[in-house]
Amino acid sequence: MSRALKVSVISPEATLFEGEAPSVIAPAFDGEVGILPQHAPMVTTLGRGVLRVGEGTTRFQIEGGFLQVVDDVVRIVTEHATKV
Amino acid sequence: MAKGRELKGRIKSVENTRKITRTMEMVATSKMKRAQDRVVAARPYARALGEVIASLYSPELAERFPLLRQPEREGRAAVILLTSNRGLAGAFNANLIKEARTLLARLESAGTTVELHVVGKKGVGYFGYVGRALATTRTDLTDRPTAADAASLVDGLIGRFTTGELDAVYVVGSRFNSVLSTPPTADRILPVTPPAATGAQKDYLLFPSAETILTELLPSYVRNAVYRALVETAAAEQAARRTAMKSATDNAGEMLNLLRRTYNRARQAQITQEIAEIVGGASALQG
Repeated sequence: MSRALKVSVISPEATLFEGEAPSVIAPAFDGEVGILPQHAPMVTTLGRGVLRVGEGTTRFQIEGGFLQVVDDVVRIVTEHATKV
Repeated sequence: MAKGRELKGRIKSVENTRKITRTMEMVATSKMKRAQDRVVAARPYARALGEVIASLYSPELAERFPLLRQPEREGRAAVILLTSNRGLAGAFNANLIKEARTLLARLESAGTTVELHVVGKKGVGYFGYVGRALATTRTDLTDRPTAADAASLVDGLIGRFTTGELDAVYVVGSRFNSVLSTPPTADRILPVTPPAATGAQKDYLLFPSAETILTELLPSYVRNAVYRALVETAAAEQAARRTAMKSATDNAGEMLNLLRRTYNRARQAQITQEIAEIVGGASALQG
């Protein structure tokens, strides 16, 4: 069983982040959603807020877009994302 | 030595022109590389968006989305033509304009009222010259188009398509297949043609619902189609300019060879003539 998520943060212009992380906390449309390994496949729209990848300092300010989890691969796809 | 001096002037002038075209070739090459990187960088987003829309799309759902509405006939359509702001790119702009005219002729012969939105000075200039009314013109896009540029270009049209004021929206731009293959293409971006689903479908948990997610993603998908057209056209422009400037540089080199040969021949002929005159003069004095 894998213990890490493969995370990528994608904006139209570029892939802003790609790597492994133990967890992801994202601002969903109705509040924050936390993703840990072995999450069920899910697609949710995102609101405005801070996306946190792992416990480190990888944070993004995002607005809109969506998050997709499938087989421990997390994709955050958003038109507005800036690293903070 | 009148002819010699004239030739010398021409050699100098061709040399200067070649310097300019060679510089432009190198500038276009480096700009093209960066534009090419942007085309590649834009792919993961398009792929992710396409995959999710494909996995959520179902024909029953489609009837409820204005952006997926397929009108029986196109009464009013909008065409966005992407051209460059600068020339000296060979047939690049001419090809795009030709493609747009073909599309316009096809739509108009089918009885569609077409409004034309033009991006880039070259396209604006051309349609101004032939006297066609343009709905909007944009000449402020740089050779580094952003997603915000694409949004500002198409958001109004998405709104008007949603209300039923428009029945179709097309984009004419260049596809960037490779450095040597950048054909002009016309794509219909509205109504949205849903991407085909590939591979096994996962059973996703959907928050808040498939409908809401699609409502939000479909406009993004359309905007991204325009963004992709913008970056690919920008890369194709640089590729076309590079090719044009390379052949201009090569031609200048050939012309220089010819001119130098002619110049040297003229110079040699003159020296020979002068010696003949001196010898002739000396033998006349001795005689």
